[in-house]
Order: sequence, then C-alpha cells, then structure tokens
Amino acid sequence: MDELILELKEEIIRVLNLEDITPEDIDSTAPLFGAGGLGLDSIDALELIVLLEKRYGIRLASAAEGKTIFTSVENIAKYVSENRKR
Amino acid sequence: MSSIAITGSGIICAIGNDKKQVHDSLLTGKTGVGELRYLPSRHKELPVGEVKMTDAELKKALGISPTEVYSRTAMLGAYALRQTIADAGLTSEALKGKRVTLISGTTVGGTEKSEQYSCGNNTKAIDHLTTINSQIPISDCQLSTISTACSSALNAIILGTRMLLMDETDIVLAGGTEALSVFHLNGFNSLMILDHQVCRPFDATRQGLNLGEGAAYLVLERTNEARLRKANIEAYISGWGNRCDAFHQTATSENGEGAFLAMTDAMKMANLNPEEIDYINAHGTGTPDNDKAESTALHRVFADALPPVSSTKSLTGHTTSASGSIETVICLIAMHNRFIPGNYGWKNKSPECITPSAFIPDTDLHHVICNSFGFGGNDSSLIISDRETHINSNVNYQVSTVNCAEATVSQEDELKALREYMSPMESRRMCQLMKASFLTSMRALEIAGINKPDAIIIATEHGMFENGKKISGTLNEQGEEGISPTLFMQSTHNTLAGALAIHLGCHGYNITYSQGKESFWWAIQDAQRLIREGKAENVLVGLHDEMPIYSKSVIVKKV
Repeated sequence: MDELILELKEEIIRVLNLEDITPEDIDSTAPLFGAGGLGLDSIDALELIVLLEKRYGIRLASAAEGKTIFTSVENIAKYVSENRKR
Repeated sequence: MSSIAITGSGIICAIGNDKKQVHDSLLTGKTGVGELRYLPSRHKELPVGEVKMTDAELKKALGISPTEVYSRTAMLGAYALRQTIADAGLTSEALKGKRVTLISGTTVGGTEKSEQYSCGNNTKAIDHLTTINSQIPISDCQLSTISTACSSALNAIILGTRMLLMDETDIVLAGGTEALSVFHLNGFNSLMILDHQVCRPFDATRQGLNLGEGAAYLVLERTNEARLRKANIEAYISGWGNRCDAFHQTATSENGEGAFLAMTDAMKMANLNPEEIDYINAHGTGTPDNDKAESTALHRVFADALPPVSSTKSLTGHTTSASGSIETVICLIAMHNRFIPGNYGWKNKSPECITPSAFIPDTDLHHVICNSFGFGGNDSSLIISDRETHINSNVNYQVSTVNCAEATVSQEDELKALREYMSPMESRRMCQLMKASFLTSMRALEIAGINKPDAIIIATEHGMFENGKKISGTLNEQGEEGISPTLFMQSTHNTLAGALAIHLGCHGYNITYSQGKESFWWAIQDAQRLIREGKAENVLVGLHDEMPIYSKSVIVKKV
C-alpha cells in the first residue's frame, strides 16, 4: 500500500503540475480539496479521473463519484487497490 | 436614438435545413438529436444533433466540386448565409454603394478537416470566412471573426448592431457556424458534461448536454435605411448585454452573476420591465451547473414576473458557437408564428431550477430574450422585438481615447517574472501563452495604475494552438481516449480573456477576436467603441499568439 501511495503522490504532482511540491509534502490522510489541504479544485478532480482511467483502467461514471473517492491520497489508494484493472 | 432592423435570416441545424423545416419541427417537438451518423467517432453512446446532410450533399447544394476541400463548418455557414441573403433580398443591385460587414462566430473552424488530414488542430478560426463570404454578391465585404466559445454567434449579432449604431457600416450579416468535431466531442466528454440520453434542460434528472451543429445568420440594417430600400422587416433589436461571469473556466457561478448582469444590461438598454418580456429562450444546456445558475439569474432578474422560459437544445443539441444565432432565428420563427417553443424532454421539477414552459400556441410575442453563455464565463443576452424600439446607446463621438500603457513579452525566460504576481499553485495549469498574457496584462495594468479594468478585449490569430495540438496528438495516438480536461478547457480562443477576467474579478464586457492579422485592429477599434458608448473608462486589450510567443497588452483609456 505504501508503494501505491507514493506512486499516487508522484502521479498527482506530475499530472496536476504541482511545482515546488514533493511527495513528502503531501499528507496521505489530509484532504486534497478545499482549505486545510492541498487546495485542489474541480478541474484537478477531472484530471484525477483521467489518471485513474489511463493508469489503472478504472472508469468513473460521473464527477460526483470522484468527489467521494478523492478525499485523501490514502482513500484513493484504497479505491485503486480494490478496483484496478491494470 | 437609433433603431436596428432584422431584414433577413437563415438557418440550418439538426431539426431542419431552412426556416420552414425548423418551424415544423418546433411545432411537433421532433428532436434532431440521435445516434451519430456522419462524424467519424467511436463514441456511439453519445447522442448528437447532426445536420442531416453529408459533406457531399452540402457540396452539391452549394455547387462545390466534390474534389475540393472545404470544412463542414464553412459549408454549413455558407448554406445558412445563402438563405439569409435571399431572404433579405440582398442582390448586387441592393448592395451597390453600401458598406457591407460579415461577422461570424466560430470556435471549431476547420478543426474537423485538420482531423481528417491528421495535421493537428487548425485553430485559425477565420479560415471558414473565405468560403462563407463567397455567397455575398459583392467583392469588398469587411470580415470579422469572433470566438467567445458558445456565445460567439450572439456576440457577432451584438457587434453588428453596435457598428450600425455608430454608422461604421450599412449592412451587417451576423451569426455563427459550427460543425461537430471529434476534437470537441471528446473534449466535452472529458469534462463529464455529456448526457448519454437526449438532454433534459432544467429537469431534476438532467445529466448534461448533447452536442449539436449548424449555422444561422441575420441581416441587420438601420431601420430608416431598411425602409428606404423597402426591405421586409422581420423584427428589431432592442438591447443587448455582454458580461463575464469571471468565476471559472467552464463552470458557472452559484449566483449566475454573468447571466444576471447580461440580462439586466439588455433590459435597461431596451427600456423594458420584467413584465414586458414575453418569452426567454434560455441557454439551458442541460448540464447540472448551467441550468442551476441560469435559473438563479432568471429569478434574480424577474422575481415574480418570470415569463415563459424554454430551452430548445433537446431538439437541436447544443450547437456551441452557432447557438446564439440559431436560437435567435428560432425566436424570430416563434414570434412570426405566434407560439412559444416547448422545453421538450422536461418531466421532473428540479428544486434548483425554474419550471420551463411547454409548447404554447396562439400567443403574441412582442419582446423576447435570447441567452447565450460560453466557456470563460462569456455571457450574453439579446432582446428582439416585433415593434420598432429605440436603443439607449448613449454614444458620445466627442470622447477620445489614448493607449496609456503597454507591456510586451517575446522570450520564454521572461515568464519566470510571473512569480511576482502569482504563486506556482495559482499558475499550475497555465501554458506558456497564458503565462505571457498574464504577465503583460499585470504589467500594463500596473503602469496604468489600474487594479481592475472595466472590460477585457483579446486578439489572437491562432488561439491556444499548442494546447489544441496536444489534444489532437492524444486523439491520434490513443484513439479518442484520455484527453486532458484542462487542455480542452484551455483550447478555445477565448481562454485568455476568460482566465484574465477570473483573476482580475472583471465582470465587464469581454470578447475575443480571431481575424488573422487584423485581430488586434478589431480589438482596439472595439475598445474605443466601448468607451464612446460609455460602457467603459478603461479597457485591457491584448494580442497574444504562439510560435514563437508574442504577447502585448495595452490599456486603452478615456481621455
């Protein structure tokens, strides 16, 4: 799981082009969206949906579904490990 | 005080190839949205509103040789414009000695042809005009292309109206054209705002929009001159509003601020109260966001006096850049035939939306609003009336303007300086062109001592070329999969104007010109026009292009 969490952090930084941020800067349990976390927004959420599809073969039905998964890196890792097709 | 008449119109879309056919479909409520037949896309699960003619049939109808290469966007435009010109009786005799201006709105332009030849996204929006222009029976017609995404065509009509009011031209042909493309079908899909069934604007179960295609144009003239040439006056333009939501690149604000301001401006200009509006053709795309925000804006403007509102997009699909003129022509058809078009597909009341109108026959429509909103928060409203109205345009020709500040960037390494104005987190999604446009805008505003300009006008020859190319590359390599939503929402020509408005919190007039090398000229002219109309004291004007990067921002100010 730790390996997947690190991989996700690196992918998030790459896909969302988060300059100046390293995987160590991201708290695995902290919220990704809104205040008090990374401060990502709805466009970032759409990019994460594309990431899930491209990298792990997981296709989400709606943006709303993404909201329940992208709460923290730990939560995404849990979802990916349970649902990944590749 | 002046009055502007509509003296001709033409239309082609999913529910008909001319006004008569569109009229019949509006009466029966037969949708033109269905499984895609003509577009070479694998997304059969996404219903679309295609024009029911192949490219070959369009060529034949237009007298174009089958071997010649024309984009579908251009052919649809030419097809609609030919009807418009015939409808208005614009023979070469009638046009003799007149200054004629063709203003067309498009975003897709020739993208679909570029797809066929795998040569990247052709973002030169003006290319479609050469074909369309050939329909006009004179040789020296002034041309302009507006590209404000889905509000392009309505903004073309608005610009034409303003140019006539200021006596810059005599006859205006204005509207827009857009063909479906694999590019934007996949792009909208990446934003997850396409419904897999026929769309249901304002319904509680709405899931998104269906893309459509088509074209429509109007002929506009000063009323006294239209009467002199004994033109048949179809309606009058009474007011307009062009505002920016300044909230998000593709989503709409909670309170529908841009839409609220656009409708309010239009009604003020037309001297009309809420009770006097008989029908509103909503933008009503069927996306959860748009319909909610538009409903909020409608409630804010009309309160208890909300007239019948409907969206016709469940019939036509969302014809994007052409929707403003297509729906204006639909309003004209409704006005002349005394009915209110139904909001087909609506069944379930949504707590966050207005209750749209069903089809209503035998009803007089004196004043009608047509709404058209686009990516970048480009929100516009137009009012047409069945009786002569005088536009409150308050033009002051004595006002002079000056370019009081200028900043340019042409080297990539200069872009690092953007950090003085925003954090890397804020600029994380910006391509180089966007960074350059922000840097020169901030510097010009700083020199002029202005925090927030009254309006933003952008000129661009190629638009967001690099982003478009990346998307086309992904489409070619991965077969219609994995498009970056960020790149797509930053692929429209008006991306920079919208993003600047968001950053600066500028809800004022906002427009993007893409008329080749003349784009900047149109932008400066428009800034001066806006100041003389009393709609702005200062305007941020920019010229931004890639390959190589060149970005210039100036502040045009009232003296």
